[in-house]
Amino acid sequence: MTAQQRAEALSQLRWIRAVSLIEGSTLLLLVLVAVPLKHVAGLPVATRIMGPVHGLAFLTYGWMLIRTIAGGGWSRADIMRLTIAALIPFGAFVNERALARRQAMLAASWSISG
Amino acid sequence: MVYLWLKALHVAAVLIWTGGLLVAALATTRASKLGADASLIETIQRFDARVTSPAMFVVWGAGLALAMLGQWFPSPWLIVKLAIVVLLSALHGVLAATLRRRSLRDPSPPPGWLRHAPVAIMASLSAIAVLVVVKPF
Repeated sequence: MTAQQRAEALSQLRWIRAVSLIEGSTLLLLVLVAVPLKHVAGLPVATRIMGPVHGLAFLTYGWMLIRTIAGGGWSRADIMRLTIAALIPFGAFVNERALARRQAMLAASWSISG
Repeated sequence: MVYLWLKALHVAAVLIWTGGLLVAALATTRASKLGADASLIETIQRFDARVTSPAMFVVWGAGLALAMLGQWFPSPWLIVKLAIVVLLSALHGVLAATLRRRSLRDPSPPPGWLRHAPVAIMASLSAIAVLVVVKPF
Protein backbone atom coordinates (compact mmCIF):
# COMPACT_ATOMS: atom_id res chain seq x y z
CA MET A 1 0.00 0.00 0.00
CA THR A 2 1.44 3.37 -0.99
CA ALA A 3 1.47 6.39 1.34
CA GLN A 4 -1.31 8.01 -0.67
CA GLN A 5 -3.47 4.88 -0.54
CA ARG A 6 -2.94 4.64 3.22
CA ALA A 7 -3.84 8.30 3.72
CA GLU A 8 -7.02 7.74 1.69
CA ALA A 9 -7.89 4.63 3.73
CA LEU A 10 -7.35 6.52 7.00
CA SER A 11 -9.48 9.43 5.83
CA GLN A 12 -12.24 7.04 4.80
CA LEU A 13 -12.13 5.28 8.20
CA ARG A 14 -12.41 8.63 9.98
CA TRP A 15 -15.48 9.51 7.90
CA ILE A 16 -17.28 6.21 8.38
CA ARG A 17 -16.57 6.33 12.14
CA ALA A 18 -18.15 9.78 12.36
CA VAL A 19 -21.17 8.81 10.26
CA SER A 20 -21.58 5.57 12.24
CA LEU A 21 -21.76 7.60 15.47
CA ILE A 22 -24.28 10.04 13.97
CA GLU A 23 -26.40 7.16 12.66
CA GLY A 24 -26.30 5.38 16.04
CA SER A 25 -27.14 8.56 17.95
CA THR A 26 -30.11 9.43 15.75
CA LEU A 27 -31.41 5.84 16.11
CA LEU A 28 -31.23 6.14 19.91
CA LEU A 29 -32.93 9.55 19.83
CA LEU A 30 -35.68 8.10 17.65
CA VAL A 31 -36.25 4.94 19.72
CA LEU A 32 -35.63 6.28 23.22
CA VAL A 33 -36.90 9.86 22.95
CA ALA A 34 -39.12 10.48 19.92
CA VAL A 35 -41.18 7.26 20.06
CA PRO A 36 -41.97 7.59 23.83
CA LEU A 37 -42.81 11.27 23.28
CA LYS A 38 -45.27 10.25 20.58
CA HIS A 39 -46.96 7.42 22.48
CA VAL A 40 -46.71 8.63 26.09
CA ALA A 41 -46.79 12.42 25.78
CA GLY A 42 -48.95 12.55 22.65
CA LEU A 43 -46.36 14.48 20.63
CA PRO A 44 -46.28 12.88 17.16
CA VAL A 45 -44.17 15.81 15.92
CA ALA A 46 -41.17 14.17 17.65
CA THR A 47 -41.19 11.16 15.32
CA ARG A 48 -42.13 13.34 12.33
CA ILE A 49 -38.83 15.19 12.88
CA MET A 50 -36.57 12.38 14.09
CA GLY A 51 -37.84 9.81 11.57
CA PRO A 52 -36.53 11.61 8.46
CA VAL A 53 -33.36 12.77 10.30
CA HIS A 54 -32.51 9.16 11.17
CA GLY A 55 -33.56 8.06 7.67
CA LEU A 56 -31.03 10.43 6.12
CA ALA A 57 -28.31 9.38 8.58
CA PHE A 58 -29.04 5.70 7.83
CA LEU A 59 -28.88 6.28 4.06
CA THR A 60 -25.61 8.20 4.44
CA TYR A 61 -24.09 5.40 6.53
CA GLY A 62 -25.33 2.78 4.03
CA TRP A 63 -23.80 4.69 1.14
CA MET A 64 -20.46 5.17 2.93
CA LEU A 65 -20.48 1.48 3.88
CA ILE A 66 -20.91 0.42 0.24
CA ARG A 67 -18.15 2.82 -0.87
CA THR A 68 -15.81 1.59 1.87
CA ILE A 69 -16.44 -2.11 1.24
CA ALA A 70 -16.13 -1.67 -2.54
CA GLY A 71 -12.67 -0.20 -1.86
CA GLY A 72 -11.57 -3.69 -0.78
CA GLY A 73 -9.65 -5.12 2.19
CA TRP A 74 -12.65 -6.09 4.36
CA SER A 75 -13.43 -9.63 5.53
CA ARG A 76 -16.93 -11.09 5.36
CA ALA A 77 -17.16 -10.88 9.19
CA ASP A 78 -16.22 -7.17 9.09
CA ILE A 79 -18.90 -6.51 6.46
CA MET A 80 -21.53 -8.36 8.53
CA ARG A 81 -20.58 -6.40 11.66
CA LEU A 82 -20.63 -3.05 9.84
CA THR A 83 -24.06 -3.85 8.39
CA ILE A 84 -25.72 -5.26 11.53
CA ALA A 85 -24.38 -2.37 13.64
CA ALA A 86 -26.61 0.06 11.73
CA LEU A 87 -29.74 -1.93 12.47
CA ILE A 88 -29.60 -2.34 16.26
CA PRO A 89 -29.54 0.34 18.99
CA PHE A 90 -26.05 0.79 20.49
CA GLY A 91 -24.58 -1.34 17.65
CA ALA A 92 -23.00 1.76 16.11
CA PHE A 93 -21.00 2.44 19.29
CA VAL A 94 -19.52 -1.09 19.36
CA ASN A 95 -18.81 -0.69 15.65
CA GLU A 96 -17.13 2.67 16.19
CA ARG A 97 -14.63 1.10 18.63
CA ALA A 98 -13.80 -1.63 16.08
CA LEU A 99 -13.31 1.00 13.38
CA ALA A 100 -11.10 3.02 15.75
CA ARG A 101 -8.91 -0.07 16.36
CA ARG A 102 -8.58 -0.64 12.61
CA GLN A 103 -7.68 3.02 12.13
CA ALA A 104 -5.04 2.82 14.91
CA MET A 105 -3.55 -0.37 13.39
CA LEU A 106 -3.36 1.24 9.97
CA ALA A 107 -1.77 4.41 11.39
CA ALA A 108 0.72 2.30 13.42
CA SER A 109 1.73 0.18 10.40
CA TRP A 110 2.24 3.45 8.51
CA SER A 111 4.55 4.91 11.17
CA ILE A 112 6.51 1.63 11.37
CA SER A 113 6.97 1.34 7.59
CA GLY A 114 7.51 5.09 7.25
CA MET B 1 -43.76 28.58 -2.42
CA VAL B 2 -41.27 26.64 -0.26
CA TYR B 3 -42.39 23.48 -2.06
CA LEU B 4 -41.55 24.95 -5.48
CA TRP B 5 -38.11 26.14 -4.34
CA LEU B 6 -37.40 22.72 -2.84
CA LYS B 7 -38.56 21.10 -6.08
CA ALA B 8 -36.21 23.34 -8.10
CA LEU B 9 -33.33 22.49 -5.74
CA HIS B 10 -34.16 18.77 -6.01
CA VAL B 11 -34.28 18.83 -9.83
CA ALA B 12 -31.03 20.83 -10.08
CA ALA B 13 -29.28 18.39 -7.72
CA VAL B 14 -30.66 15.41 -9.67
CA LEU B 15 -29.25 16.83 -12.92
CA ILE B 16 -25.81 17.39 -11.36
CA TRP B 17 -25.79 14.00 -9.60
CA THR B 18 -26.89 11.93 -12.57
CA GLY B 19 -24.58 13.78 -14.96
CA GLY B 20 -21.65 13.08 -12.65
CA LEU B 21 -22.80 9.50 -12.18
CA LEU B 22 -22.79 8.86 -15.94
CA VAL B 23 -19.33 10.42 -16.29
CA ALA B 24 -18.06 8.25 -13.40
CA ALA B 25 -19.60 5.13 -14.97
CA LEU B 26 -18.04 5.85 -18.36
CA ALA B 27 -14.66 6.71 -16.83
CA THR B 28 -14.69 3.52 -14.77
CA THR B 29 -15.81 1.10 -17.44
CA ARG B 30 -14.60 2.62 -20.70
CA ALA B 31 -11.45 4.43 -19.54
CA SER B 32 -9.04 2.43 -21.69
CA LYS B 33 -11.31 2.56 -24.77
CA LEU B 34 -11.74 6.30 -24.33
CA GLY B 35 -7.99 6.73 -24.00
CA ALA B 36 -8.39 8.38 -20.58
CA ASP B 37 -5.06 8.98 -18.85
CA ALA B 38 -4.40 8.94 -15.10
CA SER B 39 -4.79 12.71 -14.70
CA LEU B 40 -8.27 12.62 -16.28
CA ILE B 41 -9.32 9.81 -13.94
CA GLU B 42 -7.98 11.85 -10.99
CA THR B 43 -9.95 14.91 -12.15
CA ILE B 44 -13.16 12.87 -12.45
CA GLN B 45 -12.53 11.30 -9.03
CA ARG B 46 -12.09 14.75 -7.45
CA PHE B 47 -15.24 15.99 -9.21
CA ASP B 48 -17.09 12.97 -7.83
CA ALA B 49 -15.91 13.68 -4.27
CA ARG B 50 -16.55 17.43 -4.37
CA VAL B 51 -19.61 17.77 -6.61
CA THR B 52 -21.37 14.51 -7.54
CA SER B 53 -21.48 12.98 -4.04
CA PRO B 54 -22.67 16.18 -2.28
CA ALA B 55 -25.31 16.55 -5.02
CA MET B 56 -26.57 13.06 -4.14
CA PHE B 57 -27.02 14.08 -0.50
CA VAL B 58 -28.96 17.18 -1.61
CA VAL B 59 -31.15 14.93 -3.80
CA TRP B 60 -31.97 12.74 -0.80
CA GLY B 61 -32.59 15.64 1.60
CA ALA B 62 -34.69 17.77 -0.74
CA GLY B 63 -36.53 14.69 -2.06
CA LEU B 64 -37.46 13.54 1.43
CA ALA B 65 -38.63 17.05 2.36
CA LEU B 66 -40.74 17.23 -0.84
CA ALA B 67 -42.34 13.85 -0.16
CA MET B 68 -43.27 14.97 3.36
CA LEU B 69 -44.47 18.47 2.42
CA GLY B 70 -46.46 17.13 -0.54
CA GLN B 71 -47.77 14.21 1.56
CA TRP B 72 -46.75 11.81 -1.18
CA PHE B 73 -46.08 8.89 1.20
CA PRO B 74 -47.03 6.07 0.68
CA SER B 75 -47.90 6.44 -3.04
CA PRO B 76 -46.77 3.26 -4.88
CA TRP B 77 -45.01 5.24 -7.63
CA LEU B 78 -42.90 6.99 -4.98
CA ILE B 79 -41.96 3.72 -3.25
CA VAL B 80 -40.80 2.26 -6.60
CA LYS B 81 -38.91 5.48 -7.37
CA LEU B 82 -37.23 5.39 -3.94
CA ALA B 83 -36.13 1.79 -4.55
CA ILE B 84 -34.54 2.82 -7.87
CA VAL B 85 -32.83 5.82 -6.20
CA VAL B 86 -31.42 3.58 -3.46
CA LEU B 87 -30.04 1.18 -6.12
CA LEU B 88 -28.55 4.12 -8.07
CA SER B 89 -26.97 5.41 -4.84
CA ALA B 90 -25.46 1.99 -4.15
CA LEU B 91 -24.09 1.89 -7.70
CA HIS B 92 -22.63 5.36 -7.12
CA GLY B 93 -20.89 4.06 -3.99
CA VAL B 94 -19.23 1.24 -5.95
CA LEU B 95 -18.29 3.61 -8.79
CA ALA B 96 -16.80 6.15 -6.34
CA ALA B 97 -14.68 3.42 -4.72
CA THR B 98 -13.54 2.09 -8.11
CA LEU B 99 -12.65 5.59 -9.31
CA ARG B 100 -10.64 6.21 -6.14
CA ARG B 101 -8.75 2.93 -6.59
CA ARG B 102 -7.96 3.84 -10.20
CA SER B 103 -6.82 7.34 -9.25
CA LEU B 104 -4.44 5.71 -6.73
CA ARG B 105 -3.01 3.52 -9.52
CA ASP B 106 -4.50 0.34 -8.00
CA PRO B 107 -4.04 -2.26 -10.77
CA SER B 108 -6.95 -4.53 -9.70
CA PRO B 109 -9.67 -4.56 -12.39
CA PRO B 110 -13.17 -3.20 -11.64
CA PRO B 111 -16.00 -5.74 -11.09
CA GLY B 112 -17.14 -7.16 -14.45
CA TRP B 113 -20.80 -6.29 -13.90
CA LEU B 114 -19.88 -2.59 -13.78
CA ARG B 115 -19.65 -2.55 -17.58
CA HIS B 116 -23.46 -2.45 -17.61
CA ALA B 117 -23.50 0.62 -15.32
CA PRO B 118 -24.00 3.32 -18.02
CA VAL B 119 -27.00 1.48 -19.53
CA ALA B 120 -28.42 0.71 -16.07
CA ILE B 121 -28.18 4.40 -15.12
CA MET B 122 -29.93 5.57 -18.29
CA ALA B 123 -32.68 2.93 -17.92
CA SER B 124 -33.18 3.90 -14.26
CA LEU B 125 -33.43 7.61 -15.09
CA SER B 126 -35.98 6.89 -17.83
CA ALA B 127 -38.05 4.80 -15.40
CA ILE B 128 -37.90 7.58 -12.79
CA ALA B 129 -39.03 10.17 -15.37
CA VAL B 130 -42.09 8.03 -16.22
CA LEU B 131 -42.89 7.37 -12.55
CA VAL B 132 -42.66 11.04 -11.55
CA VAL B 133 -44.44 12.58 -14.57
CA VAL B 134 -47.10 9.95 -15.39
CA LYS B 135 -47.54 8.55 -11.84
CA PRO B 136 -48.95 5.33 -13.34
CA PHE B 137 -49.96 3.80 -9.97
